[in-house]
Amino acid sequence: MNKDILVIGGGIAGMQSSLDLADMGVKVHLVEKLPSIGGKMAQLDKTFPTNDCAI
Amino acid sequence: MLDVGRHPNISLLAYSEVEKVEGHEGDFTVTVRRKRRYVDEAKCTGCGACAEKCPTPVPDAFNAGLGTRKAIYSYFAQGIPSTHTIDPDYCRQLNGKKCGICQKTCQADAIDFDQEDKIVELNVAGIIIAAGYDVFDPSQIPEYRYKELPNVVTALEFERLLSASGPTGGHLDRPSDRAVEAEIEALEKKAGKATRMLEKSEKKFEETSKQFYEKYQQGEYQDDKDRQKWAKKYEDYLAIMGPLDDLKKKAETFSVAKRLAFIQCVGSRDFRFYPFCSGYCCMHSIKEAIIAHEHENETTSVIFGMDIRAIGKGFEEYKIRGGNHSNITYVRGRVGEISQGSNNNPVVTYEDTHQRVVKSQEFDMVILATACAPTSGVVKLAKILGVELDTYNFIKTSPFSPVDTSVPGIFACGCVGAPMDVPESVAQASSAAERAAEIAIQLQPGKEKVVA
Amino acid sequence: MEELADYAETLPHVTFVQRNLYTCSEGGINEIKKAIKQENLTRVVVASCTPRTHGPLFMSSCGEAGLNPYLFEMVNIRDQCSWVHMQQKEEGTAKAKELIRMGVAKAALLEPQEPIMSDVQPRALVIGGGIAGMTASLSLANRRYEVVLVEKQEALGGMLNRLNKLGPVMTDADSMVEEIVEKITQHPKITVFTKSQVTEVQGFIGKFKVDIETDAKTRNVDIGVILVATGGRVFVPEGLYGYDGQRVITQLEMESLLKKGLNSSVKNVVMIQCVGSRNEERPYCSRVCCQTAVKNAMLIKEQNPDARVSILYRDMQMYGVENEEMFRDSKAKGIRYINYDPDRPPEVKSDQVNVYHSLLGRELTLPADLVVLSTPLIAQEDAVTTSQLLRVPADENGFFMEGHVKLKPLDFATDGVYLCGSARFPANIREAVAQGLGAASRASLPLSKGSVVVEPIISVLADEEACRGCGLCVALCPYSALEIQNTEKGRKVHVIDVACKGCGVCAATCYQHALSINSFTDQQIEAQIDAFLEAE
Repeated sequence: MNKDILVIGGGIAGMQSSLDLADMGVKVHLVEKLPSIGGKMAQLDKTFPTNDCAI
Repeated sequence: MLDVGRHPNISLLAYSEVEKVEGHEGDFTVTVRRKRRYVDEAKCTGCGACAEKCPTPVPDAFNAGLGTRKAIYSYFAQGIPSTHTIDPDYCRQLNGKKCGICQKTCQADAIDFDQEDKIVELNVAGIIIAAGYDVFDPSQIPEYRYKELPNVVTALEFERLLSASGPTGGHLDRPSDRAVEAEIEALEKKAGKATRMLEKSEKKFEETSKQFYEKYQQGEYQDDKDRQKWAKKYEDYLAIMGPLDDLKKKAETFSVAKRLAFIQCVGSRDFRFYPFCSGYCCMHSIKEAIIAHEHENETTSVIFGMDIRAIGKGFEEYKIRGGNHSNITYVRGRVGEISQGSNNNPVVTYEDTHQRVVKSQEFDMVILATACAPTSGVVKLAKILGVELDTYNFIKTSPFSPVDTSVPGIFACGCVGAPMDVPESVAQASSAAERAAEIAIQLQPGKEKVVA
Repeated sequence: MEELADYAETLPHVTFVQRNLYTCSEGGINEIKKAIKQENLTRVVVASCTPRTHGPLFMSSCGEAGLNPYLFEMVNIRDQCSWVHMQQKEEGTAKAKELIRMGVAKAALLEPQEPIMSDVQPRALVIGGGIAGMTASLSLANRRYEVVLVEKQEALGGMLNRLNKLGPVMTDADSMVEEIVEKITQHPKITVFTKSQVTEVQGFIGKFKVDIETDAKTRNVDIGVILVATGGRVFVPEGLYGYDGQRVITQLEMESLLKKGLNSSVKNVVMIQCVGSRNEERPYCSRVCCQTAVKNAMLIKEQNPDARVSILYRDMQMYGVENEEMFRDSKAKGIRYINYDPDRPPEVKSDQVNVYHSLLGRELTLPADLVVLSTPLIAQEDAVTTSQLLRVPADENGFFMEGHVKLKPLDFATDGVYLCGSARFPANIREAVAQGLGAASRASLPLSKGSVVVEPIISVLADEEACRGCGLCVALCPYSALEIQNTEKGRKVHVIDVACKGCGVCAATCYQHALSINSFTDQQIEAQIDAFLEAE
């Protein structure tokens, strides 16, 4: 049986590490202090250099 | 975000904080406080009817304070989870006044004013810190007058102004102009009320307020108490309409901000605050200038910097394209002062080091590329976890184990360790996952495959 | 937007239209699912941005609502419309209507499909034994996967073998290499082939068949995932600034000089940044050269304290915390920084360097016993060969192209192949280690699942009778996903479905119309063309 991992922070880094671990079959507890995940990236309009939507 | 919310292996504890950590690599016991939203997450559908009816407007942190939300709110429209939350600092009901409109409106019966914090205990093999960063507060730089000048904004505020889902629907409306529009709105409300009051008298006395008042001024009706009241109401009305007309005339001259100045290294590479370079701000200024130009063809931007650090893949090419196609000029010089010009236009005073001359230039809006500061809760968090911080309060890692902290089993990735851009954060996040997987994934002895 | 939604309502087969600002949000997704169930929808069309970002999300949401995910069609009215016609709003809207009309016409003809499962060999191939490749190998091996590490040089270590000290902490490169190489060679799960090259790669994720040539012997290995960690090399600036490898050298040659011990007669060193980069030929900034120059400048001062070191720069790219600190320290140690304009580059003479100081506004003459040129890291000579071997893309500079420059920096678009280190873009040690670990994490995902699910948007032999077994499609397939087999009905083509990427070359080539691509059949494409040609 795999053990669990705690990830503190639901921004892009927290979400990516959670997804990688979850896809490996590890149970992840993702703790975020704000009411929703997304972090700073959710507040950005577009990202460089592709000008894709940040969300 | 949606992938995270839907993944069967991810248990999402939003609006929560880590309070205590005990144990060691392979076996940590973590106490998490799930803060009360006063809304039942299981019942709330995220429909938003409560927020529509809530009477209390609150400055909206998601929109960097540029818009308002309500005391009951969803952090942002696409947020995961989509559950609403009641802000205990502003909610009337929670502050002893009578309200509860949200509860009456909610069709899912999700509001619970008696909800308590929940304490959850977790047992984990490893911990990944990905707590991000805070935006540097530029009011600490007195010569930039960030608090005084309405049209001097931070990069994050500018992002919200550029965003189609932001407070201005993507139009670069200047904050000073928006303030006037807000005043106009408030006065119009008052004028509407005053007009309705006057209409009552007009109906009663069967003449217009203007006609009546002319007669009144010439001395008629001096003993008529009702008509005296009417005259007073009309005077109040004029006192609103005068300034309202002036403001409206002013508002007609408003246009979106077209002459933009971006000031790099605000708080970064600065001995007074953070001596380091925040790494991504040169690029996001270039990007913001390019996007602003996309929104409005006549936009011109000047980027004031020392070194323009376009160091990622495709970045130098992006910077050059910006210069060629989006009216961006790069000036090598650190801005000395921002002052008030006419019509709320900020004036930037700087030395152009290549031309060796000090100049002043007026702009419509100035955007401060603020430093990447360590997140506010990091000192407390580091203490709870027992991890070391560096001199700036970033989580300490070593160059050759870039995601390992000083505590075995605890890893750090992204800006909580050092300022970095998105691809680096994503790469580091995968690195931290890999390191954590080494502890978490137990292989049965003799078997090749992981039990997943 | 409103106009488009109204228009969509008028189209045949359309029974329900929804307008959204962010269809990709949780709310938007729930609305799709609700609509499917409530309105008994048999097809869903989303008109918005590129299917590459959220297409799979919408598809699986359809699946969750009980509708086969392949009965979903996405119409790109952003990249293919509003973004390219930004100044022509009316024409753009008209085009968007046409695109939607075409999308609806195709959707009506879509057929349900089922995904295909395939096993994954629990073995990783790492190509390149530098710091990134070694880090990735160790990590995967610690996770108990078998790793085959192939290195073309005689020894492991890559660029590290040629470096002196590693900034900013000034660790000895040699001792670092020794330490990590020992861990690799001792590890029971890692098989190392030095002086070897990968010469052939067949197959697909989970079932790669790889040929490795060592000492004139060729081994064939079954591999599940492949990591590209082939690194970069230092550009040698022949013909620039009087480069001679003796008095005018590269930073890499400087590393060797410092390692041997600098001659005490070296008193005046001038370094020139951006030699051969940030120009028309090579527009990128190689990002590691400034920190290398500063580090070496400080080491020169350490060895020869009265040496005068000047760095001629355009922008000092000392990004981040550690680099900026090192930059400050270097100024305290007396390193001089002189800004030059790329339009007035320095001139290197036999014993001096002339430079126009763009901040002072005057010409300076700097005595120079040694001139060090900071040149970029460029792609390996065999980068093109590697990219063809693995069928992965490289950009105009020869650096491999990851799946998404922001959100998937370590994955290739091709499944099962991953990327780390300077093969992707110049990286310093810290970054190479992080990327090596990160790529290992990404590579371990299919390894840990043990199997992959393949999209059924692939080629199928729709008309077996029509197939003549001519083999033209086999010759043209870029993924080696077709083969001719002898059947009782004669020679017929067979599709190796797990290898097929659905590119469509075979179906387009087949003059018998025997091959067809699921969800891109002739009938469906013809319906789109008919819809486009319809008068409004």
